[in-house]
Amino acid sequence: MLRFRIRTRPRKMASLEGLGSGPEGRLKRLRKHVTALIRHERLETTYAQCDETRGYAEKLITMAVRNGDRDKHTMEMADYWLLEKDLIHKLFKVLVPRYQSLPATATSIHRISTEYPGDGRHMGVLELKGNPWPPVRPQPRNTRLHLHNIQLEEAKKEYHQERLRAKSAAAAVPPEGSSVDGPAGSSVDPDPIDSESESGESKNSGDSSKR
Amino acid sequence: MALLAHVARGCSRIPKLQLEAALSVRFQSTLSHNDTKARRARELRPRRNYLLNDEVEQHRKSLLQQSPEVEEIPVQQAEANVPRDFRHVMPEFLPDPNPLYRDRVTEKLERMDMYRRRTCIDIPEFYVGSIMAVTMADHHAPGKQSRFVGICIQRSGTGLRADFTLRNVIDGQGVEVRFDMYGASLQKIEVLKLEQRLDDELFYLRDAAQEYSTIPFDFEPVPLPKGATVPVNSTKVKLNPRPWLERWERHELKGVEDLNLPEKKYRRARQVAKPWERWDLMKRQRESINEDEEESIMKETYMETESTRRARGRQKASLKKTR
Repeated sequence: MLRFRIRTRPRKMASLEGLGSGPEGRLKRLRKHVTALIRHERLETTYAQCDETRGYAEKLITMAVRNGDRDKHTMEMADYWLLEKDLIHKLFKVLVPRYQSLPATATSIHRISTEYPGDGRHMGVLELKGNPWPPVRPQPRNTRLHLHNIQLEEAKKEYHQERLRAKSAAAAVPPEGSSVDGPAGSSVDPDPIDSESESGESKNSGDSSKR
Repeated sequence: MALLAHVARGCSRIPKLQLEAALSVRFQSTLSHNDTKARRARELRPRRNYLLNDEVEQHRKSLLQQSPEVEEIPVQQAEANVPRDFRHVMPEFLPDPNPLYRDRVTEKLERMDMYRRRTCIDIPEFYVGSIMAVTMADHHAPGKQSRFVGICIQRSGTGLRADFTLRNVIDGQGVEVRFDMYGASLQKIEVLKLEQRLDDELFYLRDAAQEYSTIPFDFEPVPLPKGATVPVNSTKVKLNPRPWLERWERHELKGVEDLNLPEKKYRRARQVAKPWERWDLMKRQRESINEDEEESIMKETYMETESTRRARGRQKASLKKTR
């Protein structure tokens, strides 16, 4: 069972191996793609070809995981789809252990930018999960330790502490004109620190926007 | 059943106005005569009744649905020991794999109707090539019923629309009758001789001598020894000389003798053959129900039909397909 949506109908791609190569040529080209994908673990061509290749590669890996290398049909399919025969060993010895407990697809597909100036083809990248290459999508950088962020953190902390000190000082001194600011002074929080931090944060956000 | 009843009840709760609005939207769709097939399919897709079993079950069990109306479905604890090739025994329970025709609720309802029908009438295990007799209600016949004996040359259709075709020669004339397996007018289905042929369809009997498809109406049932596998009849049929109804040399028939055609015909057959389709994994994926779903459906079928099978006390032939 495939874990991603497949198109209802296949793309015909009648001229993948030259004009008029037909459905047989399509399979021949896709076979090269599947072989390359298993070999290099990453493939870059047009998005359409990536998408078509993905189904075959996934199906092959799923069959290998499910049936193992003793199954005749699976072995025949591996023999057909992998043009370089050492990859049959890779499929059963490397990829099956890698994906047998993975509750997701074994491949991932990405759209990449169209070349300009160029022929305007939509390009894509197809890769095996767990490959040794750097990721296709940039990982979000951890900016917590950047200088300005550290300074901002410290400023925030200082601001909170100041507020806390002012509040506690106001609570220690019994209010003279309690009737004037009665509702504000009389509201006693059961957990003053929490409420302080919450109000401090909300105020802080406003302050930072002003800054 | 309770689940489906609940789904149905849920539907009935939709206010009438809203339902009407939904229906009117359906007719206001932007379909036109010059749309491509793909576009038409896309237009129709969201309105299809496509519910995944897991999803329905998840919503049924969610906190929002905790109402006394929802009956608890007893989980069938008994572990079904489904024979490996059970799908060849009851292939009509597997739905049509074309995604445009998939409708899981309808499929489930149909399957339940089929189980119910199977408690009323004994639909035995049979294959293409088996010799069968069907008794049918027929108000034109003297005893208000008619019986037809013949060799099964085709099984097709899925769900309640499953059918099979019997062929016989009567008064020197080939006769084929197509019966709906779950048709209400069928009264009795007997398998007189349980066997398989080398091919999945025996339409080539139309182009063969009549003795291959002549079966006497008083054909004695041939019992199969207990525990025996379903035998494969490996007779090779000799076809009549051309012209034929089809170009049989292009069909990769196994149960046919050498066709004795000129080399030109074979060459042309090789030209139009599509040997690569065997390797097309995605074609196979699109044209079949996936293994997990097939397994769950066949398990359900096995468990639902097991009681009726036991009650009938039929000898269980081993179900392994020997071909």
